[in-house]
Amino acid sequence: MPAHCSGSGMRSRSTYLRHAALTLISGVMLVPFYWVIKTAVTDENIYAYPPRLLPENPHLFNFVDVWYLIPFPRYLLNSLIVSALVVACNVVFNAMAGYALTKRFPGRQAILLVFLSCMLIPFQATIIPAYLITAKLGLLNSYLGLALPLLSTIVSIFVFKAAFEAIPPSLVDAARIDGLSEGRIIFRVLMPLSRAALATNVVLSFIWSWNAFLWPLIITREPSMQTLPLGLARFLSYLEDTTGALYAFAVMVLAPSIFVFLMAQKEFIRGLTSGATKG
Amino acid sequence: MMPAAGRVEAWRDDWWRRRRTRELALIACFLLPSATVFFLYRVLPLGWNVLLSLQYWSPLKPARWAGLDHYEEMLLHDDVFWQALQNTLIFIGVSPLAILLALGIALLVNSDLKGAAIYRSIIFLSYPLMTVAVGIIWRWMYDERGGIINFLLRESGVATKPIPFLQSFEWALPSVIVAEIWQVLGFYMIIILTGLQSIPPHLYEAAAIDGAPRWARFWRITLPMLKPSLFLCAVVGILNSLTSFDLVYIMTNGGPGHATELLITLIYKSGFGQTKFDYAAALTVVQFSLLLALTYLANRAFGGNAGALQR
Repeated sequence: MPAHCSGSGMRSRSTYLRHAALTLISGVMLVPFYWVIKTAVTDENIYAYPPRLLPENPHLFNFVDVWYLIPFPRYLLNSLIVSALVVACNVVFNAMAGYALTKRFPGRQAILLVFLSCMLIPFQATIIPAYLITAKLGLLNSYLGLALPLLSTIVSIFVFKAAFEAIPPSLVDAARIDGLSEGRIIFRVLMPLSRAALATNVVLSFIWSWNAFLWPLIITREPSMQTLPLGLARFLSYLEDTTGALYAFAVMVLAPSIFVFLMAQKEFIRGLTSGATKG
Repeated sequence: MMPAAGRVEAWRDDWWRRRRTRELALIACFLLPSATVFFLYRVLPLGWNVLLSLQYWSPLKPARWAGLDHYEEMLLHDDVFWQALQNTLIFIGVSPLAILLALGIALLVNSDLKGAAIYRSIIFLSYPLMTVAVGIIWRWMYDERGGIINFLLRESGVATKPIPFLQSFEWALPSVIVAEIWQVLGFYMIIILTGLQSIPPHLYEAAAIDGAPRWARFWRITLPMLKPSLFLCAVVGILNSLTSFDLVYIMTNGGPGHATELLITLIYKSGFGQTKFDYAAALTVVQFSLLLALTYLANRAFGGNAGALQR
């Protein structure tokens, strides 16, 4: 289709087609969401054929059942503790490292290089020695052990670094003349001016720690230390065909990520892409 | 006059030096927590892994030198390794298709279309989800009797009998891959969208004035300018063969047989299922080299500008 003949009729038809295509794609992408919610609110025999497309007698009892069938509160508490630890440390550590990297000092290039090459080492690629190291530190089955590998993220350090570099240096100098310590400069002056970077850090570290599965699977042996994803996997192995509660459980663990994503969509997306494209 | 000035200078030098030392100490302190984490969980494991792969070692036993024995066993006698390697390569090899699909969607969304932001959010929504839950949802959708996919296939007459997707040797791997693409598609789309938005509009204006047709503008402007984004997508596709551990573990646990075994699930099983840490370490070395080599190839394929990406 030649581009220059974009009359109004042509344009509206093309717009119509685009909407149709995107509606179709969005619909397909939403099917799994609908299917899990439908199953979570119904009591039907989930292995009957044909399955019902619409929920019959929807109710919320499955969501209540989850609390009694498995130690859900325990999993939730563990997940919350680990995520809180990871988020707090990510904000503090990454801001400190990001600030340090805005300064000139001998060995800066070397450190930048090491950090960038660490980005090429995916954490999952080193689980065997990572497990042995954690065992040597005596941190198996502990909150700190669960959180430790996630406590700082290279991408987020560079997000903070870029944000701090965008702040006029005169502001930092003024704060220094006023007698503020470097620590206070970071958390009282720079941080409030880097809201987007802060949001990126919080959102990314929350999502990563909340969803983490492989690491907790390896280092927790006791059920009392397991987090929500492990609880979900365990639930699957012994309650699979008896209840819609499994799907209610799935909905409950998905809700926080969806909520966080919708709240901070812009920062989340910017963080994911800027970490990779801008650094 | 002179000595006094000298003294002031010396005092000033001293003051500066002390200030500089304090600043350097502070910088070191600021870098320390992050550097410790990266050292403990990136640098040290990598070295240890290589060492471990060259030893006979299991917990509570002293290490013995093994040379390349583990690699020999893996490459010559371990059929499961070759199966896992093949599956991992298929997993990675399919990602260009997903990236192409994402490119199409991104081109549709990237316009002054009303409601484009809503489509974008919906398509991206699956990315931040907990993969364990995603695996459970898809497992259920693939189910033989209650699953919606079999229901739709049978109602529309495509299939006459229910297909046991996750229990059959030929369907299990493609089924897991579809679920994986569903989760990561939105991420590819966002990366490409960011790339599209960084293309200066005056390039298109100039091309339009020159009367370049739409396809020429796509091939000559859009695609070359998207190279860094496409490279990044390729890297994400390569790394997904690692992060898909959760999905495979939940949906099939590598089965049936080893039809959906990936290198990462095999590493987990030999390390933590059979406590063959040394052998798992050798597998890890092979996997890591594979990923590095593929990343290097992708970098070459997209014009070798990965450095520009990371700076």
